[in-house]
Amino acid sequence: MNLDAVRLIFFEESEELLAAMEAALLAVEAATGPEQEEHLNAMFRAAHTIKGSAGLFEMNGIVAFTHRCESLLDRMRSGELEITSELVELLFSCRDHMSSMIEAERLGHPVPSALSLDAQLEEFLQQTQQPSPPLPVVPPEETVKVESDGEHVVASDYWHISLRFGVDVLRNGMDPISFLRYLSDLGRIVYITTLYDGLPDPDDMDPESCYLGFEIQFSAGPGVDKVAIENVFEFVRDDSKVRILPPHSHLAEFVRLIKDMPEGASLLGETLVRGGALTAKELEEVLAIQREQTEIGEHRQLGELLVEERLAHPTAVEAALDKQREQVAHKTREHRVVRVDATRLDALIDLVGELVIAGAASLLSAKQAGNPILLESLGSLGELVERIRDEALSLRMVPVGEIFGRFPRVVRDTARELGKEIQLELAGEETELDKSMVDKLSDPLVHLVRNAMDHGIETAELRRKRGKSDSGTVWLNAYHESGSVVIEVGDDGGGMNRDRIRARGIERGLIGADEILGDQALLQLIFAPGFSTAEAVTSLSGRGVGMDVVKRNIEALKGTIEMESVVGEGTIIRLRMPLTLAIIDGFQVAVGTSTFVIPLDMVLECLDLPVEVMAANRNFLSLRGEVLPFLPLRRLFEVEGRAPGRQAIVVVQYGNQRAGLVVDRLEGELQAVIKPLGHLFRGVKGLAGSTILGSGAVALILDVPDLILRASSDERRRMVSSSLQEGKRLGVWEGNAP
Amino acid sequence: MSISSDFHDERRTLSLEGPFTIYEAGASKARLLAALSEASGLDIDLSGVVEFDTAGIQILLLLKREAARQEKPLVFLGHSRSVLAVLDLYNMGGVFGDPVVLSGEGRS
Amino acid sequence: MAAADSKKTILIVDDSPSLRQVVSLALTHAGYDVVEAGDGREGLAKLDGRRIHLIISDVNMPNMDGIAFVRAVKQLQEYRFTPIIMLTTEAQEDKKIEGQMAGAKAWVVKPFRPDQMLRAVAKLIQP
Repeated sequence: MNLDAVRLIFFEESEELLAAMEAALLAVEAATGPEQEEHLNAMFRAAHTIKGSAGLFEMNGIVAFTHRCESLLDRMRSGELEITSELVELLFSCRDHMSSMIEAERLGHPVPSALSLDAQLEEFLQQTQQPSPPLPVVPPEETVKVESDGEHVVASDYWHISLRFGVDVLRNGMDPISFLRYLSDLGRIVYITTLYDGLPDPDDMDPESCYLGFEIQFSAGPGVDKVAIENVFEFVRDDSKVRILPPHSHLAEFVRLIKDMPEGASLLGETLVRGGALTAKELEEVLAIQREQTEIGEHRQLGELLVEERLAHPTAVEAALDKQREQVAHKTREHRVVRVDATRLDALIDLVGELVIAGAASLLSAKQAGNPILLESLGSLGELVERIRDEALSLRMVPVGEIFGRFPRVVRDTARELGKEIQLELAGEETELDKSMVDKLSDPLVHLVRNAMDHGIETAELRRKRGKSDSGTVWLNAYHESGSVVIEVGDDGGGMNRDRIRARGIERGLIGADEILGDQALLQLIFAPGFSTAEAVTSLSGRGVGMDVVKRNIEALKGTIEMESVVGEGTIIRLRMPLTLAIIDGFQVAVGTSTFVIPLDMVLECLDLPVEVMAANRNFLSLRGEVLPFLPLRRLFEVEGRAPGRQAIVVVQYGNQRAGLVVDRLEGELQAVIKPLGHLFRGVKGLAGSTILGSGAVALILDVPDLILRASSDERRRMVSSSLQEGKRLGVWEGNAP
Repeated sequence: MSISSDFHDERRTLSLEGPFTIYEAGASKARLLAALSEASGLDIDLSGVVEFDTAGIQILLLLKREAARQEKPLVFLGHSRSVLAVLDLYNMGGVFGDPVVLSGEGRS
Repeated sequence: MAAADSKKTILIVDDSPSLRQVVSLALTHAGYDVVEAGDGREGLAKLDGRRIHLIISDVNMPNMDGIAFVRAVKQLQEYRFTPIIMLTTEAQEDKKIEGQMAGAKAWVVKPFRPDQMLRAVAKLIQP
């Protein structure tokens, strides 16, 4: 049988199919239910089959046209497109066009095109808006950007292929033997190590499962590239691990390989050496890098690895290597990581939020019903919900080390640019904060660090004069403190020159010439737009562009900036960021009929408002010898009605500032699911969000940092001015009162 | 796969005949492990294995490891062409450490 | 896997005779024996105890479609570990996934050229 004979079969077959399609088209409008479905199937099959066969004969015009018809029919089958006489008419024309295309092929004539039909088909396809099904794509290889200066690439001239077959491959008829044979058709397997450490004990070993892995040194034949090698394993890629490293890959690639594979560094390392992928020396370097990565919290991109720098300290390498060997012995398998779309995580947290509310509502009704058994079971249910809440929230939390990881590179490059010798110290990388925050903090931090290196750290000459070591130090530190995450950027440089800041502030018109500013406010001037104190404008952070942007970014994340600077000793800039949790432990208070929630971790204590303080009509009291400014929430939020005889004061703290909030009643702790403020409350200062109580009522969550600021400035104003201003309302409402 | 056995001076020789693949893997595993636990040592003749795959080699590996654990001598011998082809591809001759003598393909 | 002496046999199930024959021609040329079937039901009938080393099946077929066919194959003691190549079309990604769930882990997207089919086959079995 030759191909021409098969072509004849194709033409006959097509005739039959087109006849069937015509019959189906004639009947489809009148038919209903399964009968109609069968007609649609027949039409779909006709287009589908003609397309498939035409492809084999490379009749590309027919393939393209029938492909459109097939897509259209598929959508009719799935019900996305309704069967209308217009559509049926179009399909008749399509059928006829297929017929004439095939006829042209048979006669060896040029295949006619039908642009108007194409356009009509396209129009219907567009209507359904179904995105074209994604084609199987090779997952993009994360490129590892490390300087390839020849020194830190492996010597091996061969490709390295690591395979860990999925446990089900044999059951699916996919034997590694076949893939390896196919691979050897594309080149030469120079060395192969079969790993069978995954083979379990006899009782646990399923004889139909696959437990093997392979490390292969491969010499690719001409024209065989990475895609070609990847395609060998196309059918097992979904459930197997396949890693392909080109010849002379960077050492960092091997670091990642060892990390990704289950065997552990020492076993896999030996295997790689035996197979010739790495020399013994290269392995030591790889292990050392890996060791250091784990030491400094890891989680960062290998691309930022300072391979070069790390390789510069052979003694450190030795020490790290020894440590590594010790640890490998009792280090169990790495915890496995599952990547989850952040939106799914958010959806989960939303649902958990609803669960918390529903739980509170049930508890409330149980209390009202007074059913002790129900109360008890709801109690244990509540505990579980609380644990689910904590777990769900922790999913969003990532260690700050994820951002810190890029700084060794930033500092090294910047130091080189500036011609200064500067070391970086990192601490608190394990401190966790919200993932979305991590992403947005990275750039501001880079800017602060570069600024510290540029303006903070003095030249070596000056440092020597000041009796400091030639090399300066910049550090990053992170820790949790009263419900927020603090990230410090510090340097041991010259500190801030207040006089110069002040002079520049006046020069730039940021402050009046005789204006008196507190130290903090003065230092904060450097974040004002268009401010720069550097005597020489450098290419780095010169023109003062950026510090104001840093401040804006931090404020957008509801964070605050604090500064501490000692002349000659250095500067610390502290970013205080909220944990931004979607659910918080709150403290519920009431004023009149309104309910407010205060984040519990900002609440220090509660006390009765002393009668004499109320009577004195002032806004501060003395608490154990310290002045505590306070804000009456009733007045602040213009709550109707008169205050009761006894009011309570809730002492809150944010950072190192405190204030009291005066309320009518304390109602206890609760879990609050933070919801955005409705449009009614938008623009109201002092509110961070809203929440729904178990009773279904809405409570407002207080923005404690803002209130503290308000209280202290309010109190200060009172102290400087006289009591004339008493009674004046704080203009918090920008819209209408509720 | 059929397994026939033979005793020589307390050592048992098992002769495997026919295909030794995933289809037979469940039965092979059970029978070979049982044979190992009953005997004080095993010789396994692979010359009759006409078809061999990854499931097969995994069972040989399991058996080898189990014999070492039970401190019993286990020798594979008479590797058929099918078995050798896989051992070669997997570069596992050394793992089994048995004297490999090329035999004819099967006896069936 | 490592060959018995006789040729390996491939079952191709597709409702298009021309496609079956082109594929069959190419496979025979490459050194395989080929058995043909026009739909899933016919395909199952061919699984009558004879040794089949690989199955190629279309998704869309009358009588018994590809998915149902694959599921049925997976229930057959003697054939449950046979590698299966699904012939899919990019318009029906969901069918491909369904096929994979049923146990057909390899696929070739229609339309294809004979050499593309040969390459897919060569990854799974060698003549």
